[in-house]
Amino acid sequence: MSKIIPFIISLFLSISAAAQGEQTSSNLMRSNLKIYVVVGVLLIIFAGIIVYLLALDSRLKKLEDNSN
Amino acid sequence: MIEILKKTWWKYVTVLILLYVLIGGLLVPLAPGIASIYPINFASDTAVEFTFTGYNTHFQDAKDLQIWFKNGTEFYCADKTETITNEKAKVTFSFPFRNTQKLIGTNFDLVINDNQDGTIHLGDAVTVLPHQPADSTTDSSALKPSCEHAASITKLSHFTFPYREILYQSIRNTFYHVPMWFAMMLILIFSTVYSIRYLNKGNIEDDIIASQAVNVALMFGALGLTTGMFWATYTWGKPWPNDPKLNGAAVGVIIYLAYIVLRGSLTDEIKRAKISAVYNVFAIVIFTLFIFIIPRLTDSLHPGNGGNPAFSKYDMDSHLRLFFYPAVIGWCMLGFWVLSIGVRIKLLELKKSSK
Repeated sequence: MSKIIPFIISLFLSISAAAQGEQTSSNLMRSNLKIYVVVGVLLIIFAGIIVYLLALDSRLKKLEDNSN
Repeated sequence: MIEILKKTWWKYVTVLILLYVLIGGLLVPLAPGIASIYPINFASDTAVEFTFTGYNTHFQDAKDLQIWFKNGTEFYCADKTETITNEKAKVTFSFPFRNTQKLIGTNFDLVINDNQDGTIHLGDAVTVLPHQPADSTTDSSALKPSCEHAASITKLSHFTFPYREILYQSIRNTFYHVPMWFAMMLILIFSTVYSIRYLNKGNIEDDIIASQAVNVALMFGALGLTTGMFWATYTWGKPWPNDPKLNGAAVGVIIYLAYIVLRGSLTDEIKRAKISAVYNVFAIVIFTLFIFIIPRLTDSLHPGNGGNPAFSKYDMDSHLRLFFYPAVIGWCMLGFWVLSIGVRIKLLELKKSSK
Protein backbone atom coordinates (compact mmCIF):
# COMPACT_ATOMS: atom_id res chain seq x y z
CA MET A 1 0.00 0.00 0.00
CA SER A 2 2.87 2.34 0.83
CA LYS A 3 3.85 2.16 -2.83
CA ILE A 4 0.45 3.05 -4.21
CA ILE A 5 -0.15 6.08 -2.02
CA PRO A 6 2.62 8.25 -3.55
CA PHE A 7 1.43 7.16 -7.00
CA ILE A 8 -2.14 8.21 -6.29
CA ILE A 9 -1.08 11.44 -4.58
CA SER A 10 1.10 12.43 -7.53
CA LEU A 11 -1.71 11.57 -9.93
CA PHE A 12 -4.24 13.74 -8.11
CA LEU A 13 -1.78 16.58 -7.57
CA SER A 14 -1.05 16.86 -11.23
CA ILE A 15 -4.68 16.42 -12.25
CA SER A 16 -5.69 19.24 -9.95
CA ALA A 17 -2.77 21.33 -11.25
CA ALA A 18 -3.97 20.73 -14.77
CA ALA A 19 -7.55 21.56 -13.80
CA GLN A 20 -6.46 24.82 -12.19
CA GLY A 21 -4.45 25.66 -15.26
CA GLU A 22 -7.62 25.38 -17.28
CA GLN A 23 -9.35 28.10 -15.31
CA THR A 24 -6.74 30.60 -14.25
CA SER A 25 -3.79 30.39 -16.58
CA SER A 26 -5.43 29.35 -19.81
CA ASN A 27 -4.23 32.53 -21.47
CA LEU A 28 -0.71 32.05 -20.16
CA MET A 29 -0.64 28.50 -21.49
CA ARG A 30 -1.77 29.62 -24.93
CA SER A 31 0.56 32.62 -25.05
CA ASN A 32 3.92 32.59 -26.79
CA LEU A 33 2.83 29.75 -29.06
CA LYS A 34 2.07 27.42 -26.13
CA ILE A 35 5.65 27.27 -24.84
CA TYR A 36 4.35 27.15 -21.24
CA VAL A 37 2.70 23.81 -21.99
CA VAL A 38 6.24 22.43 -22.34
CA VAL A 39 7.22 24.11 -19.07
CA GLY A 40 4.20 22.54 -17.37
CA VAL A 41 4.98 19.08 -18.71
CA LEU A 42 8.58 19.35 -17.50
CA LEU A 43 7.39 20.47 -14.05
CA ILE A 44 4.99 17.50 -13.84
CA ILE A 45 7.81 15.09 -14.75
CA PHE A 46 10.14 16.72 -12.23
CA ALA A 47 7.48 16.55 -9.49
CA GLY A 48 6.71 12.90 -10.30
CA ILE A 49 10.34 11.84 -10.08
CA ILE A 50 10.80 13.78 -6.83
CA VAL A 51 7.73 12.08 -5.30
CA TYR A 52 9.11 8.67 -6.28
CA LEU A 53 12.53 9.51 -4.83
CA LEU A 54 10.91 10.68 -1.58
CA ALA A 55 9.11 7.33 -1.32
CA LEU A 56 12.43 5.51 -1.84
CA ASP A 57 14.07 7.79 0.70
CA SER A 58 11.50 7.02 3.38
CA ARG A 59 12.00 3.29 2.82
CA LEU A 60 15.75 3.63 3.16
CA LYS A 61 15.25 5.69 6.32
CA LYS A 62 13.12 2.94 7.83
CA LEU A 63 15.87 0.45 7.01
CA GLU A 64 18.49 2.65 8.67
CA ASP A 65 16.35 3.15 11.76
CA ASN A 66 15.87 -0.60 12.15
CA SER A 67 19.57 -1.35 11.87
CA ASN A 68 20.41 0.95 14.78
CA MET B 1 22.35 -7.53 -13.92
CA ILE B 2 22.55 -6.07 -10.41
CA GLU B 3 26.30 -5.62 -10.92
CA ILE B 4 25.70 -3.52 -14.03
CA LEU B 5 22.99 -1.51 -12.28
CA LYS B 6 25.44 -0.71 -9.47
CA LYS B 7 28.07 0.71 -11.83
CA THR B 8 28.37 4.50 -11.90
CA TRP B 9 29.59 5.35 -15.41
CA TRP B 10 26.27 4.85 -17.18
CA LYS B 11 24.58 7.23 -14.75
CA TYR B 12 26.88 10.01 -15.96
CA VAL B 13 25.94 9.02 -19.52
CA THR B 14 22.26 9.30 -18.53
CA VAL B 15 22.80 12.80 -17.16
CA LEU B 16 24.65 13.87 -20.31
CA ILE B 17 21.96 12.50 -22.63
CA LEU B 18 19.14 14.10 -20.64
CA LEU B 19 21.00 17.43 -20.52
CA TYR B 20 21.40 17.27 -24.29
CA VAL B 21 17.69 16.53 -24.69
CA LEU B 22 16.58 19.25 -22.25
CA ILE B 23 18.88 22.02 -23.49
CA GLY B 24 18.75 21.18 -27.18
CA GLY B 25 15.06 20.37 -27.18
CA LEU B 26 14.22 23.71 -25.59
CA LEU B 27 16.67 25.95 -27.45
CA VAL B 28 16.24 24.92 -31.08
CA PRO B 29 13.90 27.50 -32.66
CA LEU B 30 10.71 26.74 -34.51
CA ALA B 31 10.64 26.97 -38.29
CA PRO B 32 9.03 30.03 -39.91
CA GLY B 33 5.29 29.88 -40.18
CA ILE B 34 2.18 31.98 -40.71
CA ALA B 35 0.66 32.91 -37.38
CA SER B 36 -2.56 34.67 -38.42
CA ILE B 37 -4.43 36.38 -41.21
CA TYR B 38 -7.09 39.11 -41.11
CA PRO B 39 -9.87 39.17 -42.29
CA ILE B 40 -10.59 35.47 -42.39
CA ASN B 41 -13.29 35.61 -45.03
CA PHE B 42 -14.19 37.68 -48.05
CA ALA B 43 -17.07 38.07 -50.44
CA SER B 44 -16.44 37.05 -53.99
CA ASP B 45 -16.22 39.83 -56.54
CA THR B 46 -14.59 42.23 -54.09
CA ALA B 47 -10.99 43.18 -53.68
CA VAL B 48 -9.90 42.60 -50.11
CA GLU B 49 -6.72 43.61 -48.40
CA PHE B 50 -5.50 40.86 -46.10
CA THR B 51 -2.95 41.50 -43.39
CA PHE B 52 -1.05 38.49 -42.18
CA THR B 53 1.60 37.96 -39.57
CA GLY B 54 4.35 35.43 -39.74
CA TYR B 55 6.45 33.84 -37.05
CA ASN B 56 10.25 33.80 -37.45
CA THR B 57 9.78 34.95 -41.03
CA HIS B 58 11.89 37.35 -43.14
CA PHE B 59 9.39 38.96 -45.51
CA GLN B 60 11.47 42.10 -45.87
CA ASP B 61 14.93 40.58 -46.00
CA ALA B 62 13.94 37.84 -48.37
CA LYS B 63 14.05 38.05 -52.13
CA ASP B 64 11.34 36.76 -54.47
CA LEU B 65 8.50 36.81 -51.97
CA GLN B 66 5.63 34.97 -53.63
CA ILE B 67 2.15 34.64 -52.17
CA TRP B 68 -0.67 32.43 -53.37
CA PHE B 69 -4.07 31.37 -52.26
CA LYS B 70 -4.57 27.70 -52.84
CA ASN B 71 -7.81 25.82 -53.24
CA GLY B 72 -7.44 22.11 -53.78
CA THR B 73 -4.75 21.86 -56.42
CA GLU B 74 -5.42 25.30 -57.94
CA PHE B 75 -3.18 28.25 -57.14
CA TYR B 76 -4.52 31.83 -57.32
CA CYS B 77 -2.19 34.80 -57.41
CA ALA B 78 -2.54 37.87 -55.22
CA ASP B 79 -3.10 41.17 -57.00
CA LYS B 80 -0.70 43.21 -54.94
CA THR B 81 1.82 42.40 -52.21
CA GLU B 82 3.30 44.82 -49.73
CA THR B 83 5.68 43.97 -46.90
CA ILE B 84 5.48 46.02 -43.72
CA THR B 85 8.00 44.31 -41.48
CA ASN B 86 9.76 40.98 -41.53
CA GLU B 87 6.81 39.39 -39.78
CA LYS B 88 3.97 41.40 -41.30
CA ALA B 89 2.77 41.82 -44.85
CA LYS B 90 -0.31 42.94 -46.73
CA VAL B 91 -1.74 41.29 -49.74
CA THR B 92 -4.66 42.38 -51.91
CA PHE B 93 -6.68 39.60 -53.37
CA SER B 94 -9.84 39.52 -55.40
CA PHE B 95 -11.85 36.84 -56.98
CA PRO B 96 -13.93 37.02 -60.17
CA PHE B 97 -17.61 36.40 -59.68
CA ARG B 98 -17.88 34.21 -62.73
CA ASN B 99 -15.57 31.60 -61.23
CA THR B 100 -16.93 31.54 -57.72
CA GLN B 101 -20.04 29.44 -57.95
CA LYS B 102 -18.31 26.18 -57.11
CA LEU B 103 -15.92 27.81 -54.66
CA ILE B 104 -18.37 29.66 -52.40
CA GLY B 105 -18.12 28.32 -48.92
CA THR B 106 -14.78 26.64 -49.51
CA ASN B 107 -11.55 27.54 -47.79
CA PHE B 108 -8.36 28.84 -49.29
CA ASP B 109 -4.93 27.98 -47.98
CA LEU B 110 -2.31 30.71 -47.84
CA VAL B 111 1.04 29.68 -49.34
CA ILE B 112 4.12 31.86 -49.12
CA ASN B 113 7.46 31.17 -50.71
CA ASP B 114 10.67 33.10 -50.36
CA ASN B 115 14.36 32.33 -50.36
CA GLN B 116 14.86 32.75 -46.59
CA ASP B 117 11.85 31.06 -45.07
CA GLY B 118 11.25 28.35 -47.65
CA THR B 119 7.69 27.47 -48.52
CA ILE B 120 5.30 28.04 -45.62
CA HIS B 121 1.64 27.38 -45.47
CA LEU B 122 -1.49 28.21 -43.45
CA GLY B 123 -4.24 25.69 -44.03
CA ASP B 124 -7.85 26.92 -44.48
CA ALA B 125 -6.77 30.51 -44.01
CA VAL B 126 -9.72 32.33 -45.61
CA THR B 127 -13.29 31.41 -46.58
CA VAL B 128 -15.11 32.61 -49.68
CA LEU B 129 -18.50 34.17 -48.94
CA PRO B 130 -21.30 34.55 -51.49
CA HIS B 131 -21.24 37.48 -53.85
CA GLN B 132 -22.75 40.75 -52.60
CA PRO B 133 -24.11 42.84 -55.52
CA ALA B 134 -23.56 46.19 -53.80
CA ASP B 135 -19.82 45.61 -53.62
CA SER B 136 -19.25 44.67 -57.23
CA THR B 137 -16.61 47.28 -57.85
CA THR B 138 -13.79 45.03 -58.92
CA ASP B 139 -12.32 45.48 -62.32
CA SER B 140 -12.69 41.98 -63.64
CA SER B 141 -9.86 42.43 -66.12
CA ALA B 142 -7.38 42.51 -63.25
CA LEU B 143 -8.43 39.13 -61.97
CA LYS B 144 -6.35 36.13 -62.71
CA PRO B 145 -8.47 33.02 -62.27
CA SER B 146 -5.45 30.84 -61.91
CA CYS B 147 -1.78 31.50 -62.24
CA GLU B 148 1.19 29.27 -62.58
CA HIS B 149 2.79 28.10 -59.40
CA ALA B 150 6.49 28.57 -59.69
CA ALA B 151 7.91 25.24 -58.68
CA SER B 152 10.72 26.73 -56.60
CA ILE B 153 9.86 25.11 -53.30
CA THR B 154 12.74 26.22 -51.15
CA LYS B 155 14.34 23.92 -48.63
CA LEU B 156 15.38 25.50 -45.36
CA SER B 157 19.00 25.48 -44.39
CA HIS B 158 18.42 26.50 -40.75
CA PHE B 159 18.20 23.96 -37.96
CA THR B 160 14.62 24.23 -36.73
CA PHE B 161 11.70 22.18 -35.48
CA PRO B 162 8.60 22.10 -37.69
CA TYR B 163 5.97 24.80 -37.19
CA ARG B 164 2.61 23.07 -36.79
CA GLU B 165 -0.72 24.76 -36.28
CA ILE B 166 -2.35 23.89 -32.92
CA LEU B 167 0.90 22.38 -31.60
CA TYR B 168 3.28 25.33 -32.08
CA GLN B 169 6.01 25.25 -29.41
CA SER B 170 4.42 22.33 -27.60
CA ILE B 171 5.82 20.08 -30.35
CA ARG B 172 8.82 19.92 -27.98
CA ASN B 173 6.75 17.69 -25.70
CA THR B 174 7.66 14.94 -28.16
CA PHE B 175 10.88 14.65 -26.14
CA TYR B 176 9.22 14.71 -22.72
CA HIS B 177 5.76 13.14 -22.91
CA VAL B 178 6.26 10.43 -25.55
CA PRO B 179 9.42 8.84 -24.04
CA MET B 180 7.53 8.29 -20.77
CA TRP B 181 5.55 5.55 -22.53
CA PHE B 182 8.63 4.14 -24.24
CA ALA B 183 10.37 3.94 -20.87
CA MET B 184 7.30 2.36 -19.26
CA MET B 185 7.08 -0.29 -22.01
CA LEU B 186 10.79 -1.14 -21.92
CA ILE B 187 10.82 -1.46 -18.14
CA LEU B 188 7.68 -3.61 -18.20
CA ILE B 189 9.33 -5.95 -20.73
CA PHE B 190 12.37 -6.05 -18.45
CA SER B 191 10.07 -6.89 -15.55
CA THR B 192 8.42 -9.72 -17.50
CA VAL B 193 11.82 -11.19 -18.36
CA TYR B 194 12.69 -11.29 -14.66
CA SER B 195 9.31 -12.79 -13.76
CA ILE B 196 9.92 -15.60 -16.27
CA ARG B 197 13.42 -16.04 -14.87
CA TYR B 198 11.92 -16.32 -11.40
CA LEU B 199 9.45 -18.97 -12.55
CA ASN B 200 12.34 -20.93 -14.12
CA LYS B 201 14.94 -20.66 -11.36
CA GLY B 202 13.04 -19.67 -8.23
CA ASN B 203 15.59 -17.07 -7.21
CA ILE B 204 13.91 -14.46 -4.96
CA GLU B 205 16.22 -11.71 -6.28
CA ASP B 206 14.58 -11.98 -9.68
CA ASP B 207 11.18 -11.46 -8.06
CA ILE B 208 12.46 -8.31 -6.32
CA ILE B 209 13.78 -6.91 -9.60
CA ALA B 210 10.51 -7.68 -11.38
CA SER B 211 8.36 -6.01 -8.71
CA GLN B 212 10.57 -2.94 -8.46
CA ALA B 213 10.51 -2.62 -12.24
CA VAL B 214 6.70 -2.54 -12.15
CA ASN B 215 6.87 0.27 -9.55
CA VAL B 216 9.14 2.37 -11.77
CA ALA B 217 7.02 1.58 -14.83
CA LEU B 218 3.95 2.81 -12.93
CA MET B 219 5.75 6.04 -12.13
CA PHE B 220 6.34 6.52 -15.86
CA GLY B 221 2.75 5.54 -16.56
CA ALA B 222 1.44 8.16 -14.12
CA LEU B 223 3.77 10.76 -15.63
CA GLY B 224 2.71 9.78 -19.14
CA LEU B 225 -0.96 10.08 -18.26
CA THR B 226 -0.68 13.40 -16.43
CA THR B 227 1.64 15.08 -18.94
CA GLY B 228 -0.59 13.77 -21.70
CA MET B 229 -3.70 15.19 -20.04
CA PHE B 230 -1.97 18.52 -19.54
CA TRP B 231 -0.82 18.68 -23.16
CA ALA B 232 -4.22 17.55 -24.46
CA THR B 233 -5.98 20.35 -22.53
CA TYR B 234 -4.26 22.96 -24.66
CA THR B 235 -4.12 21.13 -28.00
CA TRP B 236 -7.12 18.80 -28.21
CA GLY B 237 -9.27 21.10 -26.07
CA LYS B 238 -9.93 18.86 -23.09
CA PRO B 239 -7.81 16.68 -20.81
CA TRP B 240 -9.52 13.43 -21.69
CA PRO B 241 -10.94 13.33 -25.20
CA ASN B 242 -12.58 10.03 -25.95
CA ASP B 243 -9.58 8.48 -27.60
CA PRO B 244 -8.86 4.73 -27.72
CA LYS B 245 -5.17 5.25 -26.97
CA LEU B 246 -5.97 7.16 -23.78
CA ASN B 247 -8.51 4.64 -22.56
CA GLY B 248 -6.16 1.79 -23.43
CA ALA B 249 -3.30 3.43 -21.54
CA ALA B 250 -5.54 3.98 -18.50
CA VAL B 251 -6.62 0.32 -18.50
CA GLY B 252 -2.96 -0.71 -18.88
CA VAL B 253 -1.93 1.35 -15.86
CA ILE B 254 -4.83 -0.06 -13.82
CA ILE B 255 -3.74 -3.63 -14.72
CA TYR B 256 -0.35 -2.92 -13.18
CA LEU B 257 -1.89 -1.17 -10.16
CA ALA B 258 -3.73 -4.45 -9.61
CA TYR B 259 -0.32 -6.18 -9.64
CA ILE B 260 0.78 -4.00 -6.71
CA VAL B 261 -2.47 -4.67 -4.85
CA LEU B 262 -2.08 -8.41 -5.52
CA ARG B 263 1.43 -8.39 -4.08
CA GLY B 264 0.28 -6.42 -1.06
CA SER B 265 -2.49 -8.88 -0.32
CA LEU B 266 -0.21 -11.96 -0.12
CA THR B 267 1.91 -12.33 2.96
CA ASP B 268 3.73 -15.56 2.23
CA GLU B 269 6.93 -14.64 0.39
CA ILE B 270 7.19 -17.64 -1.95
CA LYS B 271 3.48 -17.65 -2.77
CA ARG B 272 3.54 -13.92 -3.43
CA ALA B 273 6.53 -14.21 -5.74
CA LYS B 274 5.03 -17.09 -7.73
CA ILE B 275 1.51 -15.71 -8.14
CA SER B 276 2.68 -12.22 -9.01
CA ALA B 277 5.20 -13.59 -11.53
CA VAL B 278 2.44 -15.47 -13.34
CA TYR B 279 0.17 -12.40 -13.20
CA ASN B 280 2.99 -10.25 -14.58
CA VAL B 281 3.43 -12.46 -17.63
CA PHE B 282 -0.28 -12.25 -18.43
CA ALA B 283 -0.37 -8.52 -17.69
CA ILE B 284 2.22 -7.65 -20.34
CA VAL B 285 0.12 -9.43 -22.96
CA ILE B 286 -3.04 -7.51 -22.03
CA PHE B 287 -1.07 -4.27 -21.75
CA THR B 288 0.37 -4.70 -25.26
CA LEU B 289 -3.10 -5.45 -26.55
CA PHE B 290 -4.60 -2.29 -25.05
CA ILE B 291 -1.72 0.04 -25.92
CA PHE B 292 -0.66 -1.14 -29.37
CA ILE B 293 -3.36 -3.24 -30.98
CA ILE B 294 -6.79 -1.84 -30.08
CA PRO B 295 -5.89 1.85 -30.83
CA ARG B 296 -4.68 0.76 -34.26
CA LEU B 297 -8.01 -0.82 -35.12
CA THR B 298 -9.94 2.44 -34.72
CA ASP B 299 -9.28 6.09 -35.32
CA SER B 300 -7.24 7.93 -32.76
CA LEU B 301 -6.03 11.46 -32.20
CA HIS B 302 -2.56 10.11 -31.56
CA PRO B 303 -0.22 9.86 -34.51
CA GLY B 304 0.54 6.34 -35.61
CA ASN B 305 -2.92 4.93 -34.94
CA GLY B 306 -5.98 4.14 -36.97
CA GLY B 307 -3.93 2.14 -39.44
CA ASN B 308 -1.27 4.71 -40.30
CA PRO B 309 2.25 3.98 -39.16
CA ALA B 310 3.91 6.17 -36.56
CA PHE B 311 7.23 7.80 -37.32
CA SER B 312 5.95 8.84 -40.73
CA LYS B 313 7.33 11.96 -42.34
CA TYR B 314 4.25 13.87 -41.15
CA ASP B 315 4.78 13.08 -37.50
CA MET B 316 8.54 13.33 -37.27
CA ASP B 317 11.14 15.19 -39.20
CA SER B 318 14.86 14.56 -39.18
CA HIS B 319 15.50 17.42 -36.73
CA LEU B 320 12.99 16.07 -34.22
CA ARG B 321 14.47 12.59 -34.52
CA LEU B 322 17.89 13.95 -33.58
CA PHE B 323 16.47 14.72 -30.13
CA PHE B 324 13.68 12.17 -29.92
CA TYR B 325 15.80 9.01 -30.05
CA PRO B 326 18.31 10.27 -27.42
CA ALA B 327 15.32 11.34 -25.31
CA VAL B 328 13.90 7.79 -25.40
CA ILE B 329 17.28 6.32 -24.47
CA GLY B 330 17.89 8.94 -21.76
CA TRP B 331 14.53 8.59 -20.02
CA CYS B 332 14.78 4.77 -20.17
CA MET B 333 18.22 4.93 -18.56
CA LEU B 334 16.89 7.25 -15.87
CA GLY B 335 14.20 4.63 -15.24
CA PHE B 336 16.81 1.92 -14.76
CA TRP B 337 18.75 4.21 -12.43
CA VAL B 338 15.72 4.75 -10.19
CA LEU B 339 14.93 1.04 -10.49
CA SER B 340 18.41 0.07 -9.32
CA ILE B 341 18.02 2.16 -6.16
CA GLY B 342 14.74 0.44 -5.31
CA VAL B 343 16.20 -3.01 -5.96
CA ARG B 344 19.23 -2.32 -3.77
CA ILE B 345 17.06 -1.11 -0.87
CA LYS B 346 14.88 -4.24 -1.20
CA LEU B 347 17.92 -6.51 -1.29
CA LEU B 348 19.24 -4.86 1.89
CA GLU B 349 15.87 -5.40 3.58
CA LEU B 350 15.95 -9.05 2.47
CA LYS B 351 19.48 -9.55 3.77
CA LYS B 352 18.57 -8.08 7.14
CA SER B 353 15.39 -10.09 7.58
CA SER B 354 17.17 -13.36 6.74
CA LYS B 355 19.90 -12.76 9.33
